[in-house]
Amino acid sequence: MKKPSISLVHILIAKSIIETLFVSTLVVVYFLDVFPHFHGMGEVTPPTISGWAVNSRNPNERVEVHLFIDDKFVARTIASESRPEIVVGGWSTDEWHGFTIPVSAMESGYHEARVYAIHGSGRGARKTLQLLGHAFRFLVTSDGTLKALEPSSRQIRPAVPEKSID
Amino acid sequence: MGDKGVALWEVVTVITSCIIAEWTIAPFAKGRGFVTAFPILLALGFMIFSHWYRGENLRAIGFRLDNFVAAARILLLPTLGAVIGILILEWLLSGPEFVVRPVRPGLLIVPVWALCQQYALQGFINRRLQTALGRGFKVTLLLGLTFGLLHLPNPLLTSLTFLGGLMWAAVYQRQPNLLAIGISHSLIALTLALGIPPNLINGLRVGFRYLN
Repeated sequence: MKKPSISLVHILIAKSIIETLFVSTLVVVYFLDVFPHFHGMGEVTPPTISGWAVNSRNPNERVEVHLFIDDKFVARTIASESRPEIVVGGWSTDEWHGFTIPVSAMESGYHEARVYAIHGSGRGARKTLQLLGHAFRFLVTSDGTLKALEPSSRQIRPAVPEKSID
Repeated sequence: MGDKGVALWEVVTVITSCIIAEWTIAPFAKGRGFVTAFPILLALGFMIFSHWYRGENLRAIGFRLDNFVAAARILLLPTLGAVIGILILEWLLSGPEFVVRPVRPGLLIVPVWALCQQYALQGFINRRLQTALGRGFKVTLLLGLTFGLLHLPNPLLTSLTFLGGLMWAAVYQRQPNLLAIGISHSLIALTLALGIPPNLINGLRVGFRYLN
């Protein structure tokens, strides 16, 4: 049989390169699908904890957020309330990404809160939690009032937005 | 690079494709049609090219009838022994609750899948190992180890396929007939699928799917 001009070694090298690219692409696509980047923050706004969350890959999505206080799950909600500063800051083209979670019946003393954005992928097979901003501490006084102890985890937008907002 | 080195590289590349299919598709691209089939199609395309490049026809690979009876005769006793051994194992593992499960439509694919596996294992890997290392126990052992490796991390399947791989590789070296070996493989796989408690073989799953 006439031998083809291309050698088996060339085919082996090509196959190895294709497989490397294939696996790399799979991993990158998987990463982007499972771990989209969320912008957002949480803060103490007595008598609630409030904030906002935007999925940077899909800014029109209403993000589900979970509130944990002292590492214990407290509540979940959908971030769909008005927060005009989101548009001003250029995080999204609409302002409906805010959330407010009432906090009550807390023991007096110091507490730490974390707000996570929830993302589902793989047709519901996977859920990821991503911390919005950073953890923030607050005080519950003896009369049950919440007091912020440090500046909120508000994300600072550059003075000149990276992209134009219509 | 000499022909022996290239032949070994060919073996490694086909095993690599199988490992990619088993360990990266399920976690990273489950249920995405073409993506799922891509590594297998790539390996299949490569194997066909390699046969063409080396001038191997279907008969040389083992798709033939002239030595079917001879191969079947060699396989008869070991296959019968394996089926009886698996039935005894199933009875021991299940105790008085031993039942043969009803035949499911999904099992109809087993003979086709068995033939495909034996084509890759014997018709390609066994032949290339013989090119690189010559005939003999060394190649048989490597085939058994390869077949077992590709069934990790399912412990029972890994053990059984190691033994099966040894048997089929030895038979192929004597009588290269993939049809007879495929039938032997199908009988043993069906005995496993119908009798072994599902929790022990996890639906014959291997690779990442076994862990899911």
